[in-house]
Amino acid sequence: MDAAEKPELWRPEVRKMSRPAAFALALIFAVSLVSTSRSEESKVVIGPRNPDLTEGAQELLAGNAEDGVALTLRGLAVAQGKREKEAALSNLCAGYIMIEDLDSALTYCDMLLTENDRHWRGRNNRALIYVMREEFEKAEIDLQVGQEINPNARTLKVVKGMLLDATQPVESNIIIDDRRKRKNEE
Amino acid sequence: MAIKAGITVLFAMICIGLVGPGVASSDNDTRVTRITHFEDSTSDRIPTVTAVPQYPEKARRDRIEGEATVCYFVDSKGRIKNAAIRRSSHKMFAKPSMKAIKQSSYEPLRPNQKMSNVKTCRTYRFLLNPVAIEELE
Repeated sequence: MDAAEKPELWRPEVRKMSRPAAFALALIFAVSLVSTSRSEESKVVIGPRNPDLTEGAQELLAGNAEDGVALTLRGLAVAQGKREKEAALSNLCAGYIMIEDLDSALTYCDMLLTENDRHWRGRNNRALIYVMREEFEKAEIDLQVGQEINPNARTLKVVKGMLLDATQPVESNIIIDDRRKRKNEE
Repeated sequence: MAIKAGITVLFAMICIGLVGPGVASSDNDTRVTRITHFEDSTSDRIPTVTAVPQYPEKARRDRIEGEATVCYFVDSKGRIKNAAIRRSSHKMFAKPSMKAIKQSSYEPLRPNQKMSNVKTCRTYRFLLNPVAIEELE
């Protein structure tokens, strides 16, 4: 199971669909990037190939967004290969969302999606930025593409829910029906 | 004028069998939930506590509606016994429905009344109504 799919990481924050939810989502991406980095390590070298990138992701996971971003920027400067660069860009996008610097976050998400427009996490993060900036049509497009790439991604559903709450809000209606035979009550 | 309107609404509610809000059992949900309770006029057991299930957050997020029916016995003291889900349109609705029924109760039997061995069933319907964005602001 991908670390990003662990529900306990984000479940409590999702309920209010607020900024903490956004931060939680950003953390999810950081987790995924740590695992990417580790899987590469196991194939190639012993120990972290890009320690700044790995430590940056860990800082982001721990909620230390500013330290995480600083380390990840250093990691990006020495990133080798496409995957490492994408991981750094994705984490920077997430990190800047965490510190609510949406302009910088968007810059790194754009860079990521220029590198790889099929990066569903990048689509998800950018959709989140657009939702926070109330650019709902752009968010919708990114979510559609993201869901085409990974239809089962829970984080995409979360952001989609945030978009729906912003554009098509609903209120819950609970009907308690004790009747043995239902009538046309509605 | 306002009183007259209130009476009209109250009369309309009685006519369609609308009893009014039950006891909300939601934990931390601060969202608005509309509650409607339709009672069975043929039953002689009177609910004292009618707990309301919490709308499952995932169902709300994904805009899923549905219903769950729970059947149970009511003992002589009005407590719910042997509650079980009879049917649920989606598994997400089963847990909050069970939780709500376990928090509900009825009035105890009076001295001249006898227990019936017939199970009682209650259906919880989970619906989502669109809200105008202006209303939220």
